[in-house]
Amino acid sequence: MFAQTKSPRDDAVAVDAMRNPVDKSYRRMVEGMELFEKRHRLAPDAALRFKLLPRHRDTDMRDIQVEIVGESSAIPIALAPDNTFALERRAAALKENASVRPNRKAKTMTWRAEIRTPGLPAGVRRLGDLRLECEVGMQAGLISNYRPMLFGLLDPFLREGPEYCRRTEPRYLFFAERPIFGVTLVAGERREALPVERLYGGASRDPRWKEELPYCDCEVLMDRAYFMPLGDSSWPDDTRVEFDYMDGKS
Amino acid sequence: MRFIPLVFVVLTGCAALSPAPSSRESKPLGPAEVRSAQAASEAISVGKSTKADVRAALGKAVVVDFESGYEVWVYRERSPEKAKPPGTELVLLFAPSGILAKTRIR
Repeated sequence: MFAQTKSPRDDAVAVDAMRNPVDKSYRRMVEGMELFEKRHRLAPDAALRFKLLPRHRDTDMRDIQVEIVGESSAIPIALAPDNTFALERRAAALKENASVRPNRKAKTMTWRAEIRTPGLPAGVRRLGDLRLECEVGMQAGLISNYRPMLFGLLDPFLREGPEYCRRTEPRYLFFAERPIFGVTLVAGERREALPVERLYGGASRDPRWKEELPYCDCEVLMDRAYFMPLGDSSWPDDTRVEFDYMDGKS
Repeated sequence: MRFIPLVFVVLTGCAALSPAPSSRESKPLGPAEVRSAQAASEAISVGKSTKADVRAALGKAVVVDFESGYEVWVYRERSPEKAKPPGTELVLLFAPSGILAKTRIR
């Protein structure tokens, strides 16, 4: 168990108290890891990590502690400064149907898979990495929306699993490092900017987007959110995904 | 009296040279629509135009505003009725200062 019992902020909880934590099923996350190995060809040079992201403006993302918590044990997980972590397969934790549990309350954070091919310049991702992030995220149950039919987007398909990511235009939300103005796909000579309706959770087509925002795990990440044409096979896995950030030069 | 036939000829000539406006062009623009994204982008200035300037020049936009103070404004070209969306769009970014910071046409 964690030594810390006092919370620096309201959204922090002592892990040993465990009331209403923002946890995920360890078993499902291991299933995500297994899928990563099975589909590793999408991102052959990348490793799998999981990432914690804020759900509220006042979520304290500093000094988070994460454990695998089962009936008989609690195993600390090393969290990197960017709030990513790797999991190991542990038979005992699987047997006890353990949870992966940060010391924060439910609905204060969300989760994503983090799969990055090394060596890419800043402001560039690789489409195959994002394809695999979606598949692992769906398999591991990382999305944390709390209302069906959110934005008319993803929720009806949550039960579909990773095959949802193979649709031409899945509405799986990715989050860039910083607020984005544009996202462009580049494969050889071919360049194509995403339409604005594929940025910001589709807000430009939904006049009621602010009403639904509290139910979305993108609540404080809307200006960083984008969808990708993951299932469009005309874009190879090596396609570069280039970001034009709001605070960057044109 | 000689002048009247000349005026008549000139006016007739104009009518013959100008194509009749298509139904697409003659229909009034809807909210956040522009006839030409390129022409619209040329009517505003990055680093200078304010939100009021842009609204005066292009009309009402679809606005996506963020807590950071940044705002994204979207204008869409009117597409042929059977065209598959999304059509050509002009996307503007206003900095928290209210000044136009970036534009792009897709």
